[in-house]
Amino acid sequence: MFTRIIRDPASPTEEVSALLCSVAADIISTVEFNSTGELLATGDKGGRVVVFQREQESKNQPHRRGEYNVYSTFQSHEPEFDYLKSLEIEEKINKIRWLPQQNAAYFLLSTNDKTVKLWKISERDKRPEGYNLKDEDGRIRDPATITTLRVPVLQPMDLMVEATPRRVFSNAHTYHINSISVNSDYETFMSTDDLRINLWNLEITNRSFNIVDIKPANMEELTEVITAAEFHPHQCNTFVYSSSKGSIRLCDMRASALCDNHSKFFEEPEDPSNRSFFSEIISSISDVKFSHSGRYLMTRDYLTVKVWDLNMESKPLETYQVHDYLRSKLCSLYENDCIFDKFECVWNGSDSVIMTGSYNNFFRMFDRNTKRDVTLEASRENSKPRAILKPRKVCVGGKRRKDEISVDSLDFSKKIIHTAWHPSENIIAVAATNNLYIFQDKVN
Amino acid sequence: MDVEAKRIMALSISKLYSLRTQRGGLSLHRSLLLSLTVRAARDIYHTAQLLRDAEEEQVVPCAPDAAIEEPMEISNDSPQTLTPKEVAMKPQEPKETLEDDKENRCASERHSRKRCCKTAVEPDFLPLKKAKMDTDEEKQHLHGEVLRTNNGNSCRQAETLTAFPTNRAIVAC
Repeated sequence: MFTRIIRDPASPTEEVSALLCSVAADIISTVEFNSTGELLATGDKGGRVVVFQREQESKNQPHRRGEYNVYSTFQSHEPEFDYLKSLEIEEKINKIRWLPQQNAAYFLLSTNDKTVKLWKISERDKRPEGYNLKDEDGRIRDPATITTLRVPVLQPMDLMVEATPRRVFSNAHTYHINSISVNSDYETFMSTDDLRINLWNLEITNRSFNIVDIKPANMEELTEVITAAEFHPHQCNTFVYSSSKGSIRLCDMRASALCDNHSKFFEEPEDPSNRSFFSEIISSISDVKFSHSGRYLMTRDYLTVKVWDLNMESKPLETYQVHDYLRSKLCSLYENDCIFDKFECVWNGSDSVIMTGSYNNFFRMFDRNTKRDVTLEASRENSKPRAILKPRKVCVGGKRRKDEISVDSLDFSKKIIHTAWHPSENIIAVAATNNLYIFQDKVN
Repeated sequence: MDVEAKRIMALSISKLYSLRTQRGGLSLHRSLLLSLTVRAARDIYHTAQLLRDAEEEQVVPCAPDAAIEEPMEISNDSPQTLTPKEVAMKPQEPKETLEDDKENRCASERHSRKRCCKTAVEPDFLPLKKAKMDTDEEKQHLHGEVLRTNNGNSCRQAETLTAFPTNRAIVAC
């Protein structure tokens, strides 16, 4: 069931208005724009992928430009059972990554805990008619009745979008896959689990190369796991991976076949005054993203977002507090498991603004140039037609102003983990549990 | 501080156990973070305990050595069972933690024999042990482990492990 809200073209610039797409059923587990921003894919806990397509600009209805409508829906992964280990493999889609478009069809990689699949999404608007051996309904014709031969002709038909699995990359991961990343060479991609990173060729499914392995000889000596990994946007030999200890390693595949030794090591020394029972948990990096330029890295840990300069390993360039008011609540957040939430972070197209999610359906944007930040809320009440999003504020101190919300009133079950930013325009997609919100900037 | 540490230890251990029954299998990352928290809390708990023991050194001794010897032997005895599943090795951590606790506690008791009438009680943050059906080989080892450590030393009946309810209030003894 989908509802669409048309934005108000008369509204002033620099404000964000809502286009709401409501996906019934499952919790959204990943959101990703393709490289042109024309398509937006979401994956959910039920293993489904829903792809939205942006409506083309039309002269009759210029204000309808920018609406995303459902383009294709398919079941990417099914639940499986590993009989050898007596384990169920969840069908939840952990990540979707689009391949760059090379022909009329669209390709994306989707992965669950164990298997990566390459899907082809293509349109069909013609159908062959006039077969010799079967009639229009598909029934086989009696050969005795065939007296002439004809050549089948392509006739137009209603547009049909079909998704077909083209490759299945499986049996390469002992642990749960947390990331996939397509290389800029458009030939290879990598899949990452807790302890290993494997390199695949998009054409070859029965073999992959292990390029990082941090599994200790004795598992009891395990101190950190890999939490995310990504290829450099332009240098096909470079990738980074983040760890649960709060460090990032940059590796160069030209250095050796097995990139266990990093080329660069990014880590900020811990502030001893902030030490607590949960210091380890909150320093674990949940997401790492290269900037579009390839010059910077962004990492997300539980309370902050950090921007790193690739040329400076000793400390981040910028640190942004996402929800520092939670620092005194870590114990309760540990009890209700919220402290383990793996928030993602995204860059805008020009790398000037970064965005990440929080609780109470809040999401935050930080402008790196002006140093201004804003907190917005993704909720049905705020997303009526022509609605402009109002900045929200969390009250930390004693006196709460009328518009503010106190920390204790925050709804921790409403969290925004997954967000995406259009590659070139100010359009963002925000997943709030099982609803997808698409917001646009009003730059006219 | 140590009350908080004990509570967090109990909470973490119960989370570790409940991870096993989760759909999709054991999460290595989550298990690791939980184990690290258990260790951090344990360190604080022991530090606090040592401080408290140091304060109690004035008290007249009454507990015999023999009773304390026993748990030490049993704890040292406990083998680190190698399981076929690598991932399942991680949950050995909390068990190991419990063993260490036993060792450390007994060691500290040995040093301060002067403690009066303080029975070697099992730390009350351990999960309540109830009978539980389990076909998993690794879990059977764990099961056996805990039963052994109870031998003659705890005021509780030897029971099996079960998931510890997280909202249970832990009262320090």
